[in-house]
Amino acid sequence: MDLWSSIGIWVAAFLTLSIYSVLYRDNPFYRFAEHLFVGVSVGYGIVLSIYQGFIPFAWKPFTAAMTGESLTGFIKLIPIGIGLLFFARLSPRHTWLIRYPIAILIGFGSGIAIPNVLRANIFEQTRGTIEPFAAIYAGTLAGWGIFEAVLMVVGVVCTLIYFFFSTEHRGPVKWLSKVGIAFLMIGFGSAFGNTVMGRVALLIQRVDFLLSDWLHIIQ
Amino acid sequence: MKRQVPLVLCFVFGIAMIFTRFSPHSVSQWIYEEVISWILIIGPFALVLATVTLIQTHTTRIRRRTEHWQYSLVVFAGLIIMVLIGVPFGPQNSIFEWLYNNVQLPMDATMFSLLAFFIASAAYRAFRARTFEASLLLLTAVVVMMGNVPIGDFIWNTIMSWSPWTDKVSEARQWILDNPNLSARRGIILGVSLGVISQSIRIILGIERSYLGGGD
Repeated sequence: MDLWSSIGIWVAAFLTLSIYSVLYRDNPFYRFAEHLFVGVSVGYGIVLSIYQGFIPFAWKPFTAAMTGESLTGFIKLIPIGIGLLFFARLSPRHTWLIRYPIAILIGFGSGIAIPNVLRANIFEQTRGTIEPFAAIYAGTLAGWGIFEAVLMVVGVVCTLIYFFFSTEHRGPVKWLSKVGIAFLMIGFGSAFGNTVMGRVALLIQRVDFLLSDWLHIIQ
Repeated sequence: MKRQVPLVLCFVFGIAMIFTRFSPHSVSQWIYEEVISWILIIGPFALVLATVTLIQTHTTRIRRRTEHWQYSLVVFAGLIIMVLIGVPFGPQNSIFEWLYNNVQLPMDATMFSLLAFFIASAAYRAFRARTFEASLLLLTAVVVMMGNVPIGDFIWNTIMSWSPWTDKVSEARQWILDNPNLSARRGIILGVSLGVISQSIRIILGIERSYLGGGD
């Protein structure tokens, strides 16, 4: 192992232990690591957004236009100009100009959300919910499979009824929404269990790093 | 000018995105790709502005010598080192990669793994099987957690050795995830999606204007 790799392991181990030290209580080591994490993450984000956003989509087409390769690159001056309007925020008199790039980003996000959400979240999820009934109709699904297909529809409908506030939850609606709550609780329990196990997996990975790569206690 | 133009821009870009998504014409696809590239150009400027705001906040902390102001220097050190190495030499540079692999990545994983302790602590304090719904949540969480690890089957088999259901906890976990959990998630996804669509229509049509902020 070369020197830089060894130094890297020691630095990573020091930072890992510094962050875990907060489990005892707030201390200078944790505060150091926390602030370093903020600075490094922001720096990393800037570098990536420049190299994966600005350079390929703005700088390269613009320089190509300047050298006469492709004049369409001059169009990129428009989004660059719009992007620069973000800095109007720093001048109290011109703060209102920041609304232009924000409006474009919000309009873009809203516009792209409608078809994408319709397709991926509404049509596909509805199709997935009712698709097993085609298999039941075709006779390829039976017994337990039919129970699961019915359970799926009951779960989806009851969950939606629980979130339906245009009518008062009384009588049958109340009972259906109660069934919806039961499904939601199972959903939240699953999400909780998976989140815990995901974080524990990360913890195991960090402990493995400390014991294996740093201390060489386990191989 | 101050409010009307942004509303028009929002409307034009929103409608353009909807139209180009549904139209397979080559011009439409060119517009779609061009607008995507515009957004990828405008986006980094917002990040730079956020960085400027971060620098202003920490500069103020240092100038006023507020509590723990020294750590603001650490923020600057991390930021400046990453930018000074990353911007001129690129993210493929070996020193930049070393910093990413040995500074950012370990801290990122450790920060997220801290949540394991906080979740366990919160669950110990808050999880009480007082009602049917709470018991259902608790039971599901236990089954999903046990089913995720090999020791879960071992514990299950030890406790349930008298029953015919051995090695069933991982199967039970998968069944819960694929059926009742999925149906609840689908219900939530459908509800949220309808909300997203209605809110997007409100924004595009200029009914929802809170993103413009206050003032004239």
